[in-house]
Amino acid sequence: MEASAVSSAEAVPRARARTARKPKKDRTPWYMWVAVAAIVLFCLFPFYWLINMSLKAGSDLNGSAVFPHNPTLTNYSAIFKNPDFVASLRNSAIVAFITTALALVVGSFCAYALARLRLRGKFVILGIVLSITTFPQIAIAAPLFKLWSDIGIFDTYIGLIIPYLTFALPLAIFILVSFFREIPKDLEEAALVDGATRFQAFRKVVVPLAAPGLATAGILTFIAAWNEFLLAVTLTATTAARTVPAEISFFTGATEHQVPYGSIAAASVVISVPLILLVLLFQKRIVAGLTAGAVKG
Amino acid sequence: MATVANQVGAPAPTRQRSKGLSEKALARLMVSPSMILIALVAAWPVIYAIWLSLHQYSVRVAGLSRWVGVDNYWTSGLSNPDWRSALYHTLIFTVVSVSFEVVIGLGMALAMHRAFRGQGLLRTVVLVPWAVLTVVTAVMWRTMFVSPYGFVNTILGTHTVWLGQTPYALIIVILADVWKTSPFIALLLLAGLQVIPDDIYEAAKVDGATTWQQFVRITLPLLKPAILVALIFRTLDALRIFDLPYVLTQGTVGTSTLSTISQQTFATNRLYGEGSAQAILAFIIVMMVSFAYIRFIGGNIRGMTAE
Amino acid sequence: MRRGLGIAVLTAIALAVTACGSSGSSGSKTTGGSGSGGGGGSSSASVSGAKTLQASALDNPPKGTITYCTGKDTTGDAAYTVAQFNAKYGAQGYHANLVQFPASADQQRAQFIQRQQAKSSSCDVFSSDVIWTAEFSSQHWLYDLTPYVSANASKFIAAPLDTVHYGGKYWGIPQTSDAAFIYYKTGEAVPSTWQQVYSAAKNSGGIVYQGAPYEGLTCNFLELAFAAGGQVLSADGKKSAINSPQNLAALQLMVSGIKGGSAPQAVTTYMEPESDQAFDTGKYGYLRNWTYAYAVHNTTGALKGKIHAAPLPTFAGAGKASILGGHNSVISVYSQDPGLALKFADFFASPAMQKAAILKFSLAAIIPSVYKDPDVLKAVPYAPQLLQALDQAKARPVSPVYPQISQAIYTNVNNALAGRESPQAALKAADSQINSALSTF
Repeated sequence: MEASAVSSAEAVPRARARTARKPKKDRTPWYMWVAVAAIVLFCLFPFYWLINMSLKAGSDLNGSAVFPHNPTLTNYSAIFKNPDFVASLRNSAIVAFITTALALVVGSFCAYALARLRLRGKFVILGIVLSITTFPQIAIAAPLFKLWSDIGIFDTYIGLIIPYLTFALPLAIFILVSFFREIPKDLEEAALVDGATRFQAFRKVVVPLAAPGLATAGILTFIAAWNEFLLAVTLTATTAARTVPAEISFFTGATEHQVPYGSIAAASVVISVPLILLVLLFQKRIVAGLTAGAVKG
Repeated sequence: MATVANQVGAPAPTRQRSKGLSEKALARLMVSPSMILIALVAAWPVIYAIWLSLHQYSVRVAGLSRWVGVDNYWTSGLSNPDWRSALYHTLIFTVVSVSFEVVIGLGMALAMHRAFRGQGLLRTVVLVPWAVLTVVTAVMWRTMFVSPYGFVNTILGTHTVWLGQTPYALIIVILADVWKTSPFIALLLLAGLQVIPDDIYEAAKVDGATTWQQFVRITLPLLKPAILVALIFRTLDALRIFDLPYVLTQGTVGTSTLSTISQQTFATNRLYGEGSAQAILAFIIVMMVSFAYIRFIGGNIRGMTAE
Repeated sequence: MRRGLGIAVLTAIALAVTACGSSGSSGSKTTGGSGSGGGGGSSSASVSGAKTLQASALDNPPKGTITYCTGKDTTGDAAYTVAQFNAKYGAQGYHANLVQFPASADQQRAQFIQRQQAKSSSCDVFSSDVIWTAEFSSQHWLYDLTPYVSANASKFIAAPLDTVHYGGKYWGIPQTSDAAFIYYKTGEAVPSTWQQVYSAAKNSGGIVYQGAPYEGLTCNFLELAFAAGGQVLSADGKKSAINSPQNLAALQLMVSGIKGGSAPQAVTTYMEPESDQAFDTGKYGYLRNWTYAYAVHNTTGALKGKIHAAPLPTFAGAGKASILGGHNSVISVYSQDPGLALKFADFFASPAMQKAAILKFSLAAIIPSVYKDPDVLKAVPYAPQLLQALDQAKARPVSPVYPQISQAIYTNVNNALAGRESPQAALKAADSQINSALSTF
């Protein structure tokens, strides 16, 4: 591992630059273009299909055509008039945001101690954190389903945020450990020499320098919380706390006996597009966060 | 992630003492909130689940419960044909989907690595499936296959009821998972490919190695740690699959899994004891697999990654 | 790392030992459970220790406001009834509030159970699906309304009253009912037996129904099975009676219907919306669906004005039956003003409200006189058929383990329909699953 001030966010572009320096002696062969086209089709077609579905209404919906004959936005206006869907958007945002904030604050302390401080049993602590990431969520959902009903926090934000920390906290800790380790020690040591305490050095020097790492950890944790389904579907029952993934799976139309696939598709597009934009905007950071630790050694 | 453990284990250089708390005390202070939270939100519920799993809670008489020891594990779990088929489906799903994901992911990574000009586009494009919610993924695949909305039967000229027949329903669950996850594995492996120095390939070319030989002798061995990490994470993730079968088929038609069957037992049927036993069995299976992985290949990763 | 994980697990076990002490007391608590719940069926089980509400409680209850909780009010009937109640009794100081739960039945059940477990008084009256009576009453969540119902029994259609009967007592007041019809297009033969339905369907594109593995399939199957003379449980309710020649005949008719082209293979994935959608394409001659479908197909859709409804036919050589749907008013034991709650439930079942339910909101009323009302006969041409369907209707098994019984039925029937199991094997499997459900603690 390089001791220079290279954050892992830059690791991949650097590697790419190395590839770029390779002299292009042969042009990209045709089969590579076929492969590229196949990958693009594989990745994008299902999402295109969803958009196509969301623009269909009436008899178009039953047509199975891969493009809408009479494209319409009625499905979109319908879902924003659906109070359950709007409530679930709000619930998801609140739950995911608070989960992320808690995981970042608490996780950054832990990650800093693991990355920088002398501490006995680091292996044990990291082992515990690692073992938590492999927990099947069902083992938490079952007892909490009964417990939350008994103590009255079933179908509440807090009832979701608490179990969400089981995956959010380890995720934040792992990403932050790898970022903290790459912050040059010199600056921190300088602060210590200047009379700062260890904690002040952490707060005033390390945290600002680790801002990209915090952002990466934050985005990944947020997405994980936004995506969670088993706990959401088990521990909520109404618009009081039901999040978007759970709401979509229970989407019904005006009556119990209608399944409006057009509206479901529109709702799916609406909640996917911001996430896709977020991911594309921060793609380098996210890729770095996802692959951190997996390939470096 | 596995390698982070090794990084952390590297001996910290001795530093000068600073004022305030001692370094060790501060470290303990900073670690403890996370440890307490983890104990509260993860360990304690699992322990409570074990306690529940040793009881039965009456569905006939209000508030009545009885201690049954490990009976639930046998009657609702190991000897229960429904639970056994859920285990079987889960294992099939795990083996098939993870194999396909690693192979397809590797193929995509190689293509992305080689296709220099398309690389930026590809890197963007492959993030789309990863960013789409799993529930939305299920909606997509459902609407593609279910008549009259879907085009699959129209194109194939068939009248197959994809989500109503075994093994098609499970195959669609696998397809949806492969779509969503292969690109993520591709990114992981691409990062692994990019840190393999070009010089090695150049030297091999000089020695007259074919492309295939380069792939088998250089790429695969050097990519092994990344592949293993992907394999472990995907396997442990696949074993707890819940959302795709739940949304696509409600866990019916040969798609029940360890998670869906337990959720149905405790949430729909309100058999807390039996459902908790099934959840703990899932927990034990996941833990056994993760130990097995670490036992067989953990040392391998360690050797590969700890420089 | 191996060492790390090992220690992690040891730590977890150590935590387990310490935490058990605190969770133990709450886990093994047994309160108020003195009932002899060993039975399992409708007639043998008894629920003891429940609170009883006297019929006279509705006469002069304390003034106040009660809350009526119901699933999403998609027809408008709930809002109308609440408004009428407030208009009539508001001046006397009696008020009702409307709280709507989600549209899905599972979520409504979860909502109510959650409130009762928390001993919350936030729902005084709850609109309970007819299949929930046994579960709710055996958990001591409902007032025993036997005095009121016994005094008024002659007022109601008999079948809906059976759905509030469990353990020898009445736990609610019928609110609205429902039963299925065979819908057919103008020009198709009016079927008189199920066998005729299937043979006529073969020549008219087919019959579509709800064959996906869920509660709806249990209803679809039991309609034929009950008509053929079959049962789900033995007379004492303690054993499964699903594996009978009568049930086998019913299942074989359904299975051969799919194999022989009388019904599309896709019905094995249909719930109500899919079957409506399929019927609406005009490809199929017949549809089995609930009352609501009449309005759906006759007011909107491609087949507008060309749809007829017939009560479910007889099973050749046996009788006829339909399965009862609908909702009952049940009163929470945690209600602060059960007398007023009873007054509201009584009001819901009154002739005026029942007439409005069928006339304005296309719901099936639960008192027979409404079906002879001239206004109703004029506006709801299928009213006589509906009353006939309700008269021949049977309740699904009333049992606290009904969800498991229904799962056993719909999973195995679906297996048989899709050809994964022979009808014989499916009923045998259902039989053993129902028996194990009945032995649930």
